[in-house]
Amino acid sequence: MSPSSRALREERRARIDAALADAGLDALVVAGDAWRSDYLRYALDATPLEGRAIAIVERGGAARLFVDSPAEGARFARELPDVAVAASRSAITEAERALAALIVKRVALAPLAALPYRLAMGPFGRTIAEGTALLDRLMLVKSPREIDAVRKAAALADEGYRVFREAARTGRAEYELVAEVEAFFRSRGCPENFQILASGGREVRGMHPPGERRLAAGDLVTTELTPCVEGYYAQICRTLVIGRASAEQRRAFAIYDEALAAGVAALEPGATAGDVARAENAIFRREGLGEYVTSEYTRVRGHGLGLYVDSRPMLLEDVALEFRPGMTLIVHPNTYHPEVGYFVHGDSAVVTDGGCEVLTRTPRELFEVAA
Amino acid sequence: MRHGLIAWSRDEVPASALDARVAKLQAAMRKEALDCVLVYSSFARPAAVAWLTHFVPYWNDALLAVFPDGAPVLLAAFSKRMNPWIHETSRVGEVRAAPDLGKGAAALMSEKRVSRLGVVELDALPWRIAQPIADPTRDAELVDASGVFTDVRHPADAFEIALARRAAQIARRALDAAADGSRLASHALAAAERSARLEGAEDVIARLAPDLREDATLVRMEGDAPLGARWALELTVSYKATAVRVTRSFASGATPPSWREADAWLERTVAASAMADGAPGRVAAYRVDVALGTEPLATWDTDGPETSVPLHDGTLGVLSVKLEPKDGAWLAAVPVLIGRGPL
Repeated sequence: MSPSSRALREERRARIDAALADAGLDALVVAGDAWRSDYLRYALDATPLEGRAIAIVERGGAARLFVDSPAEGARFARELPDVAVAASRSAITEAERALAALIVKRVALAPLAALPYRLAMGPFGRTIAEGTALLDRLMLVKSPREIDAVRKAAALADEGYRVFREAARTGRAEYELVAEVEAFFRSRGCPENFQILASGGREVRGMHPPGERRLAAGDLVTTELTPCVEGYYAQICRTLVIGRASAEQRRAFAIYDEALAAGVAALEPGATAGDVARAENAIFRREGLGEYVTSEYTRVRGHGLGLYVDSRPMLLEDVALEFRPGMTLIVHPNTYHPEVGYFVHGDSAVVTDGGCEVLTRTPRELFEVAA
Repeated sequence: MRHGLIAWSRDEVPASALDARVAKLQAAMRKEALDCVLVYSSFARPAAVAWLTHFVPYWNDALLAVFPDGAPVLLAAFSKRMNPWIHETSRVGEVRAAPDLGKGAAALMSEKRVSRLGVVELDALPWRIAQPIADPTRDAELVDASGVFTDVRHPADAFEIALARRAAQIARRALDAAADGSRLASHALAAAERSARLEGAEDVIARLAPDLREDATLVRMEGDAPLGARWALELTVSYKATAVRVTRSFASGATPPSWREADAWLERTVAASAMADGAPGRVAAYRVDVALGTEPLATWDTDGPETSVPLHDGTLGVLSVKLEPKDGAWLAAVPVLIGRGPL
């Protein structure tokens, strides 16, 4: 384990112990799997690759991890030498037994998104909201060390986008582009990346996993890359053109670029997620494109970043969560444009005392690559 | 992460094959008097829904509702904009946008007047989804349908076997690429990842033992490590919603004689579907992983004390072994057809 990983782990554990003490709790039970590993990573520095994993973290004391894959059990035993790891046919059953022994203690379960039904139906089921909220609070505002990891991930995303741009050319299939990017991230020691993309024209309504479509001259090629460093994700969204951009594509780009700048300008302590979304959407409305900032055409106008690629808060006009220094996000006014198709443009940023710092360094350009 | 090529080739898996799988489940449901079976799917647990419909969630999660008759309904937390992609890559009937999957499922159950509802792997269903379904005010019996699903899930049909063979081929070629002079874990993993993704792998999960003489534990690489003179790489490769696992041990220079013996022993073991005699060292660990539930591969049998449920011959699986010859650890994993030999 690297010194920075160790420091992050110790820091998070200290924050959990303090939060448990504040809440008068004796232990926290945290479940996860390969998809929702964020809460487990925060609580125990554990990132499952397969199967279920359930941790019991006692305040100021021992931690136990129950898994249902022998291979994962062996791996965690090596990666987490101070954690008692138990592999069995059912992690849920073993965790249930362990919880029975804690019946006289104050225990909270988390998270709502991953906690299995059977544990939720047990004696501590009523504590899920409390346990989830406790971890959500801790995970929302990042420490300087956590921000440093997000900053490194943003730099890696910049490099990844350069690889993507170089790989994009006429005749290449979408999945071949992703292969080049994935190989690059692996070569840099990055184990996870979330990436979707799209290619084509006005018919494209959103991004998706790579298909077999081959790039053609004139295509808009959109992507969002989301690599992680020490478990912390950062994201970049950009759009490129195969060949020379058309006048319509340039006009569209100018709108998205202005919307991104407006969103970033609104990102400051005290502002709300809704404020940023409204700042982005105002540009589209001014251009007569208000229809395209609704849920028919776009999901969110950005979102939090951290140990999960799509963390709180969602940047939507009705979200009232206020920003505080240390929150990390992507601002992305991605949506459909009726003249050119789906278009993406977004930067990762961290909220600072006086506003925000944009972590993405890739120029805000409509990139053109040789057809 | 599951974002390599996701596509449904009707040549590789015709719609009729998927319909036949759904029909098997529906027949079993009727015997159990189940009005509906819900099957959960996420990035981590896509296998059961993928087997029934070829739907693979690259993001978010979903629930498949199978009724005794008709095409399954997919409740998806995806934007409605993704419906064309869902229909292009999978065989489902109605796709319902359900930002809150649990509430969406509860509403569907009420609408269809479901009085006896089965859930595959009910115990593991995330509470966010389970809570509205399990609401005691709902007048429906909730039962675990894992056994019903497992019974129809195996043995593998010809289409699944063909996909698994292709996945195994992709994995073996990726291991060949990883072996090509790599001195760092990052280089080996990059070469494997590139090879597998270029060949159409949907997902590649890697665990690596960088120095078998130090420690034979397969770990998740975050950062980098130098590769020792002997190392091992395990790749779990998904291709068109079918996962296999292949592990290979690598030695710089000539292959150790004990490893050649180990290869031969493993071949005999797989052919016989039983641990063969003559292993060049202690069998320190073994396990058999299969895809019978929502996970792409889950452990069915190990050298541990717990017993396993019986499987039909012809079920797809993976045999993983750790041998301890005198000159150090040797790891291997090979896809198999249970009771029938190599894939």
